[in-house]
Amino acid sequence: MTTAKTKNSGTSLLAVIDKNRIYIIFAVVLLFMAFFAPKFLNPFNLTTITKTMAMTACVGIGFTIVMICGQLDLSIGTVITMSGIIGLGLKQFVGYELSVPLAIVAGSLIGLINGLLVTKAKINSFIVTLGTMTVLQGLIYFVTGGNSIALSTPDAFAVSDFLSWKIVPLITPRVIVTVVLVVVAQIILSRTRFGRSFYMVGGNKSTAWLAGINTDRTLIIAFVLSGTTAAIGGVLFAMESSAATLNLGTNSLMYVISAAIIGGTAMSGGKGGVIQTFVAILALEILYDGVILFGLGNEVKIFLAGLILALVVLYEAFAIYKHEKTVGQRPELVKELQK
Amino acid sequence: MKLALEMRSVSKRYPGTLAVDQVSLEVQAGEVHALVGENGAGKSTLMKMLAGSFDDYTGEIAINGQVVSLHTPALAKKHGVGMIYQELSLAKPISIAENLLIGRLPTKFGFLDKAKLRSETKYWLEQVGLGLNPDLPVEDISPHEAQLVEIAKVLASNPSILVMDEPTSALSREEVERLFSIIDGLKKKGMAVVYISHHLPEIDRVADRVTVMRDGKKVATKAMSETSRQEIVQMMVGTLKEETHNTAARTPGKEILRIENLSRWGFFHGLNLVGHAGEIVGICGLAGAGRSELARVLVGLDKKDAGKMLIDGREVNITSMAQALRVGIAYLTEDRKAEGLALRMTVGENALVGIIPRHSTAGVYFAKRGHSLLGRLMNELVVSPNDPGRMVGNLSGGNQQKVLLAKWMASEPRVLILDEPTRGVDIGAKMLIHDSIKKLADGGHCILLISSDLPELVGLADRVMIMRKGRFSREMPRSQCTEESVLMAAYEGGV
Amino acid sequence: MEQTRVLRFGAFASFVNVFGVYLIALFFLLLGIALQALGLIQNFISLSNFLNILDNVSLLGIVAVGMAFVTYSGNYADLSVPTTMALTGIVAVEMLRYGFWPAVLAATTVGLLIGLINAVVVGKLKANPIIWTLAVNYVTLGVIRLVWANKQIYPETITDNKEAIGWFDGIFRQEVFSNLFGNPLLDIRLPMVFMVVLVILGQFVLTKTSFGAQLKMTGSAKKAARFSGINVDFVVGMAFVLAAVTAIVGGLAITSLSRTGAYYNGAGYDFRAVTAIVIGGMTLAGGRGSIIGVLGGVLVIGFINNIMTLIGIPTLSQDMIRGLIFIIVVGISAKSLRSLGRDDS
Repeated sequence: MTTAKTKNSGTSLLAVIDKNRIYIIFAVVLLFMAFFAPKFLNPFNLTTITKTMAMTACVGIGFTIVMICGQLDLSIGTVITMSGIIGLGLKQFVGYELSVPLAIVAGSLIGLINGLLVTKAKINSFIVTLGTMTVLQGLIYFVTGGNSIALSTPDAFAVSDFLSWKIVPLITPRVIVTVVLVVVAQIILSRTRFGRSFYMVGGNKSTAWLAGINTDRTLIIAFVLSGTTAAIGGVLFAMESSAATLNLGTNSLMYVISAAIIGGTAMSGGKGGVIQTFVAILALEILYDGVILFGLGNEVKIFLAGLILALVVLYEAFAIYKHEKTVGQRPELVKELQK
Repeated sequence: MKLALEMRSVSKRYPGTLAVDQVSLEVQAGEVHALVGENGAGKSTLMKMLAGSFDDYTGEIAINGQVVSLHTPALAKKHGVGMIYQELSLAKPISIAENLLIGRLPTKFGFLDKAKLRSETKYWLEQVGLGLNPDLPVEDISPHEAQLVEIAKVLASNPSILVMDEPTSALSREEVERLFSIIDGLKKKGMAVVYISHHLPEIDRVADRVTVMRDGKKVATKAMSETSRQEIVQMMVGTLKEETHNTAARTPGKEILRIENLSRWGFFHGLNLVGHAGEIVGICGLAGAGRSELARVLVGLDKKDAGKMLIDGREVNITSMAQALRVGIAYLTEDRKAEGLALRMTVGENALVGIIPRHSTAGVYFAKRGHSLLGRLMNELVVSPNDPGRMVGNLSGGNQQKVLLAKWMASEPRVLILDEPTRGVDIGAKMLIHDSIKKLADGGHCILLISSDLPELVGLADRVMIMRKGRFSREMPRSQCTEESVLMAAYEGGV
Repeated sequence: MEQTRVLRFGAFASFVNVFGVYLIALFFLLLGIALQALGLIQNFISLSNFLNILDNVSLLGIVAVGMAFVTYSGNYADLSVPTTMALTGIVAVEMLRYGFWPAVLAATTVGLLIGLINAVVVGKLKANPIIWTLAVNYVTLGVIRLVWANKQIYPETITDNKEAIGWFDGIFRQEVFSNLFGNPLLDIRLPMVFMVVLVILGQFVLTKTSFGAQLKMTGSAKKAARFSGINVDFVVGMAFVLAAVTAIVGGLAITSLSRTGAYYNGAGYDFRAVTAIVIGGMTLAGGRGSIIGVLGGVLVIGFINNIMTLIGIPTLSQDMIRGLIFIIVVGISAKSLRSLGRDDS
């Protein structure tokens, strides 16, 4: 059929570029910095990059899954802070072997509450997670009295040293944990029925339900994963720095949303992937690192972060606008024009 | 013959109403069983029950002689019920392949088997005559292709009972024929098919037996060979109403609308059309011929690429619908639910929304000014319940359509474009809407009537423009128009 | 006959819409009275405390009125409000050197510019409102920090023009009515008047103007609105401009309050406004609720804050209770909407 032919050839070079845009952005940023930024390829600098991206990358896993489901989780920032506080705060009482699992479980629990409120009470996830975010914020201040936690015991430093130990240049145990989680999550998402069900629920919830997918359970799992990975990211970071501040997760929300969107995960759901978010985080991290290497300040970094996000949103809006203009065209009439 | 499906005195209660009341239905293997009834008769509810949408129906359902409980979609699927919905149930951002095999994606060692996913999808797409790339997301294909994918999706689930709810509403004549030959093939393989449609000629063509429902109850089941369209209609409405059309010829007045060489690249090219006061111009064409696209350009929802448009002999360049309304062109969309009405707002708000500027002074809106007009329109169209404060979403389809028509009658346009004004509407509402259309034309309005409903076109239009592949291929005066001749002209050479 | 029915239904619907949140406000009022009767808090029931409550939420109320138009239009929220407030404040302080009115004019121009950008990108290009306004928030933050670094700027260091500084201070402090009933504690200051005026204006625009009627249709069913001849791009854009307008007023007031132009002025006002709006009966689905309801939501928050402060809960920990009440209220209203058959989120 004619339609079939035009559709197949429609997967043109542009479409391929668009589909892989995040890898291209990554390559461009990396090459630019490698050539122009002073001391960029210095192993110490590269290690800094991988270490800084580790927390956000971990948080990005669950957050991306929630977005694939067509939902939003505003609570990740406070979950990060909370898990740091629990993991370090409880250490003196029960040791890391118990406080770290507790911190992660607490994150899962917040995710579970979010998921239950979204699915069972049927409240918009923007509202639900705004609510849990606010509650957690208050709770954190209530418990800590507004004070950060810093550990200075030898065993805490030992753990901290271990987590930042360079097995080979660039690779520390915390980076390994993060990368393994990302890879596992990506394989599950793209290669298993369970993973695909997140896309189905995000793409069209009622279709998924009619096809026998337990949509409520899928959504709850997505939120639990989001809470869990946020907690893992937060507690690992806190352990490595032996300190949990109250603004540990403050900027993560913006950062992770940007990365997910730049990576091609759509707010409307059904599209995207953990690996794309991961690569976007890497690209952003390299860019920010370069900004600092060029001797520019933090304010340039903030400005750039917003600008990049704004440009990507603009680009997507424009792409949809163009797509809607041509969808439904009759191929034979288009052909006539091309003569 | 053995019974593929047996529903014994099943009922389903919604808050406040008994949607299905003690209905029994038997469908044999290898039978196409039509289910008809006016909107709100309970047929869709009955079928949703079969598809596992309710966990609280009463009565018994037996499939292949075994009593089963169909309380979830998963259970319904397990027992071999396949359902093709009226509204598309595809996930737009997801690939065709995954949509097609949703819920049972092929795996190998626990991981997706992508090669098998693709080849299996290709196979099922070929069954419905599509050669699309399985990896394309559904949002990239056209609506009628999507409808066919939907059908392929249900076929792929290999059901023993197939339920089709108005499957042809988005399809072209050619695709409908293909669908019917698919159904014939399934019948031979011993599948039981339940076919819901408003379209009696289709039922004539495809069904073996017909069950008529009214007000949630079953009226009767008859073999098609032992009944007539007349009798089916009578059972549907309760009393025999003859669908007559006023054939008294109107004499068209002076020219209002003229389009010359109008084009929107890729959608329609080089259209010429003249519309006069007091004239109904029918526009007939198959799905995808460019009819609605033309309407959208005329009211400024889309931009024209070339050509001229004149109102009262003066050229106008319409760039927004607000402007179109100002010069007196209105468009009643074919998609009532998404594009026509705000279902969460009241009848009154919906009916008056098109003329907000008229009831405003210096930006202040005086809704009260529209109340007498609103009351008059609701009485004229017999909107039921006659309550302007009712939420539109709680009205039946027919009454929703009346509200939509009232909205454009209120704006008193000189040119009114009606796009499938009676799609999915019960017979009573349809007749009322037809009467109103005739009255509008008699009152000197110019009506462009886009319709796939041939009796409607032939009965109402003063002349019919045949649209094919984005062009007007023929103009037929009323004297030449019969259902057959129009159909032949539109069908000539396919879409 | 038909006419009276339209009127009755309309009146009833808006009554329920508004009533819900004022019932909640009444609950907290009674709670406060009960707590005082039990001796757990003091000074709750007094005219000066009630004025104090209003005074404390006036900034939130001002910002929420504008943002409510965005929510009503079905576009969730304008997350660029915090830095819009910060930037207008900073620009105003910076421009005080040229006098008070030039400062206000410059601040308004800058704020409107942000509103217009949002209007074009969300209204015309249909970008996702949450993501877009979030991006704008950060770009603006970046601009502020690029231009003013991390410095805070003070009117006194910008100019010696005492009169201009006085006027600027007055934005927050000017007493419109003082010594009510001869009581020196009973003052009504300018922001409270702003809030009341904006609520009345907002309610009027929403319910009595053609823009309001078109906004309702746009928020309820955007596509249908477009097919009804409504210029939805303009209507949505206008909602963002209105949000910017109230953010400008709020930004000037908060800067006047702290006598400091700083990038963090206005932080948190985005989500706090959403909280008030949603408690006030607007739903994210759009087209439902009223500005009077939003005022109710603001009052509820005022009561909660006041009671918690009187009990002695530290300000930052109060979020815990506020968040909980927020979730409970939204949960209950979602459930009641569903039982009425008006399912939406």
